[in-house]
Amino acid sequence: MPYPTATWDLIGLWTGWVLMLMIYSYPLYKENPVYRFAEHLYIAVYLAVSLTVNFSNVMRMCITPMMQGDITMIVPLIMGLMIYAMLIPEYRWVSRYPIALLVGAGFGLGIRGSIGPNIQDAIVSTITRPTDGGAMAWINFLYIAVGLICSVMYFLLTYEHSGAMQVPTRIGRLFIMVALGAYFGNTVLFRLTMLTGRAQFFLQVLKLIPM
Amino acid sequence: MSFLANIDRRVFYWILFIALMVPFLNPIGFPIKIAENTRDLYEGITGDSVEPGDVWIINFGYGVSAWPECHPGVTVCAKALLREGAHIILIGPHTDVELTYNHLLDTASADFDAATYGEDWVFLGYITGGESAIAQLASNMRSVYPTDHFGTPLDNIPLMQNVNTWHDVSGVLSSDTGDWGGYFLTMWQEAYGVPMAQIGIAMLGSTGIPRWLAGNYFGMSVGSRGGAELEMLIGEPGDAIIAMDSISVSHLLIVIAVIIANVGMLMERGRKS
Amino acid sequence: MSQMLKREVVYAITGIVTVLMFVEYFLFPESQAWAEMLRTWGIIIYNISLGLGAVRLTMAHSVSIQRRRENWQYSGVLLATLVVMLVTGLAGYFTTGLQTSNTIYNWLFNYVYTPLGATLYPITGFYIFSAAYRAFRARNVDAALMLIAGCFVILSNAPVGEAIWVGFATIGEWFRFTGQVPGMRTFALVGTLGMIAYGFRALLGKERGFYAGGGEE
Repeated sequence: MPYPTATWDLIGLWTGWVLMLMIYSYPLYKENPVYRFAEHLYIAVYLAVSLTVNFSNVMRMCITPMMQGDITMIVPLIMGLMIYAMLIPEYRWVSRYPIALLVGAGFGLGIRGSIGPNIQDAIVSTITRPTDGGAMAWINFLYIAVGLICSVMYFLLTYEHSGAMQVPTRIGRLFIMVALGAYFGNTVLFRLTMLTGRAQFFLQVLKLIPM
Repeated sequence: MSFLANIDRRVFYWILFIALMVPFLNPIGFPIKIAENTRDLYEGITGDSVEPGDVWIINFGYGVSAWPECHPGVTVCAKALLREGAHIILIGPHTDVELTYNHLLDTASADFDAATYGEDWVFLGYITGGESAIAQLASNMRSVYPTDHFGTPLDNIPLMQNVNTWHDVSGVLSSDTGDWGGYFLTMWQEAYGVPMAQIGIAMLGSTGIPRWLAGNYFGMSVGSRGGAELEMLIGEPGDAIIAMDSISVSHLLIVIAVIIANVGMLMERGRKS
Repeated sequence: MSQMLKREVVYAITGIVTVLMFVEYFLFPESQAWAEMLRTWGIIIYNISLGLGAVRLTMAHSVSIQRRRENWQYSGVLLATLVVMLVTGLAGYFTTGLQTSNTIYNWLFNYVYTPLGATLYPITGFYIFSAAYRAFRARNVDAALMLIAGCFVILSNAPVGEAIWVGFATIGEWFRFTGQVPGMRTFALVGTLGMIAYGFRALLGKERGFYAGGGEE
């Protein structure tokens, strides 16, 4: 996107730059009124956007079809409004009905969908022997197989990790530590990439690098 | 070494913030090696893998804060699909999905300007409801999206006239910061065998690589590094490649910080014993 | 009767909906219409329920202003901005069907929401740097293994790692494609088993924490 030239776009760009510095005044200096102001501003705009978008979605999915003749849409509308009974202590139980529907759908779909990729496919992939790649492929295959068994044993929390369980669970813990270390490495990339984007924006607004 | 332990943390923050900016002003240009998972993703959306007229869903499962991580990869994938003559349906579970859509029109402007809205791509907009919504999208899109984001009934959109269920979709590309790729995995890929790839944040690389190895994903792009690799594959350097130098410097700083801290700890231990 | 309405009927609804989702996919595709209807209702309920947080927030900040609590002025900023954006957004929606057609809403969306949204979350990048220096110590074998894996993955994610020594990229790749796989598969597997167990407990009415006032009547 080229550097904006229209007045309000320019004002907006610099407003965003200043707001960014207001937020970063907290880590780079200390908590201060300027940061607090920007933080509350963000909560407000986020909430407003969330409300308007969800409102338009409800209109699109529920109200408009209802006005066009689909009278069954009155049911989810009423059930959705029943959730707000949570705000009235003596009628909080009314909100359990829509929650029951959401929880039931979530559980049913979650259980039916998760078994394949998380259990079946994972186990099949672990026990499928390598067809090429030589010695290193076999070492990796054994590493993954032994690692999976030992790591799962580590999570058998209903048994004491002693006796015959002691060595495999200890090994399993080490495999888990390796996984968590790799996860940390990926987390670093994620967090720092976001920060890099902001550093880039800082320079772009000052026209030190092209937009 | 003890004085190092007492340094105000704000000194670190300033060092990092300045260090992130320097490579933008003085680019270094480290070479980028392309990972197998990224290559698989690119080959899955180009060449013989995609026929003209195929319909693909791209899920903007990320908000404005994750644009540097996910958006370069999504830009490349959208360009690649449009150049193959495929049609794209764009959806997203974040309330700021319209911003991300506009940003994509900007970053892939040449390809979208050459295409026609409603025939080559359509923006259906915001979706919410978790796994139920994605499951319902697979069985009846019109119940989730009676209209596109701009209020046009789906029956009036040429692209959507013969598209309503998972049957009519050739593949899904989900770009996520959280769970929505997982919902597509369980409700589309696992349930109906729809090919799927992930263009996620780096943290999803940890959970996604085992899925790619197991064949659940036909490819995977991991964070901005994956985005840079995709930009290399399509031959059009973009935001991800530009950011790689800055990311290199910051990552080196992290590793140096860890090493210094642990050397200090070992020296302290040696001194005490 | 009232106890039944508050408890047993609620569990029955949860159970019926859960079973219907199973039955629709595995056994009787004829029940798809019912499952679709319930899922659509669920999406609409979800949309409507997202306003609950806004209501609570508005109530809390209104009380803060009313009682002139500490920093009540920020609550004023929040509520004022919320009202302006809501009014302009809804005005845009009711006139053209699109919130962003209103100029004020669109400007705030593009030039206030975007930079603030893009700035707040990346603050954690600063914290990860200071945490790397202050907290990530290899005090024992487990922590050392975690740090070694982490450092190699960090150096393989950044192009500089390979530029310094090709081994960083090679070993980092091994950690990414093999080293972390057993642990990550374990988390997914164990998490799914836990979710299944939790789901069956919920169906039997033994898990009531997610119902409002759960554990009470």
